[in-house]
Amino acid sequence: MKIKYLAVSLALLATGLSSANADRLVIKGSDTLGAKLVPQLAEQFKAQHPGTTFDIAAEGSTTGIAAIIDGTAEIGMSSRRAKTSEVGAASAKGKHMKPTIVAFDGIAVIVNSANPIKGLTKKQVEQIFTGDVTDWSAVGGSGGKISIYTRNTSSGTYSDFKELAMKKRDYAGGSQKMAGNEQIAAEVGKNPNGVGYVGMAYTKAGGVKVMPIDGVMPSTSAVHAHSYPYARPTFYYTNGDPSGLAKEFLDFTIGPGGQKIVAQVGFVPIK
Amino acid sequence: MFVKKLTFAAVAFCFAFTGIAARAQEAGALLDLLVRKGIVSDQEAEEVRVELSKEAASTAAGKWKLSTPINEIELYGDARMRYEYRGGRTASNDPTNPNDWYERHRERYRVRIGLRGTLLDDWFFGLRLETSTSPRSTNVTFGDDSGVNGPFSKDSDRISVGQAYLGYKGFPDITLTAGRMPNPLVTTPLLWDDDINPEGLAQQWKHTFNVSFGGGGGAAESYSKEGYSKDGKGVVTTQAAAEPFKLKIDVFANFAQFVYDDTNPENPIGPARTTDTNGFTQRVPTTDAFLLAWQVGARFTFPNNIYFQLAPTLYNYTGTGDSFNTFFQGDSNSTNQTGINSLLVLDMPVEFGWKLWELPMRIFGDFAVNLEADDRAKAAGHPGSGGQRYAYEIGLGIGQLKAKSDWEIRGWWQHTEQYALDPNLVDSDIFDSRVNMQGVGVKAGYALADAIIFNLTWAYGWRSNGNFGTGGVGDIPINPLDQYQIFQADLNVKF
Repeated sequence: MKIKYLAVSLALLATGLSSANADRLVIKGSDTLGAKLVPQLAEQFKAQHPGTTFDIAAEGSTTGIAAIIDGTAEIGMSSRRAKTSEVGAASAKGKHMKPTIVAFDGIAVIVNSANPIKGLTKKQVEQIFTGDVTDWSAVGGSGGKISIYTRNTSSGTYSDFKELAMKKRDYAGGSQKMAGNEQIAAEVGKNPNGVGYVGMAYTKAGGVKVMPIDGVMPSTSAVHAHSYPYARPTFYYTNGDPSGLAKEFLDFTIGPGGQKIVAQVGFVPIK
Repeated sequence: MFVKKLTFAAVAFCFAFTGIAARAQEAGALLDLLVRKGIVSDQEAEEVRVELSKEAASTAAGKWKLSTPINEIELYGDARMRYEYRGGRTASNDPTNPNDWYERHRERYRVRIGLRGTLLDDWFFGLRLETSTSPRSTNVTFGDDSGVNGPFSKDSDRISVGQAYLGYKGFPDITLTAGRMPNPLVTTPLLWDDDINPEGLAQQWKHTFNVSFGGGGGAAESYSKEGYSKDGKGVVTTQAAAEPFKLKIDVFANFAQFVYDDTNPENPIGPARTTDTNGFTQRVPTTDAFLLAWQVGARFTFPNNIYFQLAPTLYNYTGTGDSFNTFFQGDSNSTNQTGINSLLVLDMPVEFGWKLWELPMRIFGDFAVNLEADDRAKAAGHPGSGGQRYAYEIGLGIGQLKAKSDWEIRGWWQHTEQYALDPNLVDSDIFDSRVNMQGVGVKAGYALADAIIFNLTWAYGWRSNGNFGTGGVGDIPINPLDQYQIFQADLNVKF
């Protein structure tokens, strides 16, 4: 009889825990998405779904994908595609890495607003970030040692930029790694010789200006037309097709309401 | 959904029929194109990408992770099983055992396995592990163990680093290599055992000219960018773009600075080291020994598969290292056999090839002369014998071994004189790492499969000049080596 009571009690406790977690959504991953866009989406979603709470940790795309593999988040934000090794690791743990594009982005190359340079070519961007050139005079500037600001290695933007702009070469030895887009923009804004890259949503920071690449500025139309060379999709990763609150939030994100916020924050809507 | 499945099938087709490195790029490019054409949506393309990644991750190749700087990597190697007979006869005037044969029958194997590849920014590398610790042999003899651990011991079954090199090919036509490398020089076994992987620096330059006679008024076209062969051994000529041409000229120059022997220490604690070897006290030189080589050459390729190659080379030595600070004598086992004093060798390897009834044929030869043989002979106790300065070989080869059922046979005559060459570098099989030997060699091969070759080698030699020993250290502990014979049967597997 005691065992029966214990089983019932445990069942009730489990049910109680389950219902307590039902309105809480754990999201981890990309700083590009998680610093601005997803919190604003979450606020709007909460307004429509009172009682819902969010646990958002924006520490880089790698952490978001790892969270799906480990099962520690319902949604993994990522500004890059999952690597083959990550997809393989997920499969080995019985997880299915399902990507959903939630917005497009253009990685903008920014310099200090006092820098007289008017634009860069793809080749020059590669030369700058790999350290092939170290002085602004080599790329048409007025001179001065180039200070490079990049994201840290867990960032999807860090690896995307390497692939899109640097032919997968290593960053220059003296480049400084920042925790997020806002930190990069802030540092470049303070340093007349600074250069860095940020998502389009972070180009409005004070003291910086965006460089056209081969004459093309990162814009909604250029990203949709695939004419901006550093354009990329951004993702929510889930374990298979999402369900419950995760599905509701994902549907909201890619729906009209969510995409309006996407545009307001500075990303490019998916349609 | 149907479009997604169709897309997956099309892209999977690309995966199945292309190399692993090319797959991701080609599949990615194909998906991008399909998205731009509006055939699939971005979302559908991403789902296909994940499926492809999942497929790739489940393959053996997908589990092998390479670091980002590696552009291309190749696993290669070979294994060989050998039976060998080797025998040498004492001289007829040997005081204890005249005309007696010393003979060995050995069953041997060798394994060589390597990785070579290219890195970002025009760098390349190579690493090869080999059986045996000998610089001139990769063979291990079955049963040739100490016996301490019983039969089938592993005492002699050792793996050593045969090659470890890094190089750069970012300058047009130029390849720079450092480390323990495949021999960068055009050579023959007359001077160099082909198992030797020298250590040091090498600079290679190669430029191809295509000359068109007739119609074009003798115009010459120059091709500056050449491909690099991953084994670091040579520069691969790309096919000329201009048609037609009658003559292709590959001009090359190879320079090398090999560290022959390290001195340790160069500056010892206390007084400088001395030796009484030559009957009086003298200081032991404390400098590293270097072998320096300068080679320039050209290969002329005419129509109808006719070619001619010439690669004159000058070798000289500086310093003595720890092990080569005694003059070469070479007369008997009790005298020095390895000294590198007074060696300034001019070498002239040459080859002429053609096809007869679609059968490749070639005449090959090598001529070498030691320009300091007078001093070397004098130091060896034979003043006035500086005429023993020449070495040469000439041979004929028919056939080639490229694919299953191919065959090849070569025969040659070889002659070396006592003060002509460095005895530490000459081929260890023909004739037992010795100089002052001459004789004939024959080698025949048949390809049992594309990667499996069966070879038979036989050589017979005798002392070239009876007034001298047969300098050098080989497997036959006889000096002078009055007669010598070797037979080898090899089964080679290459991968």
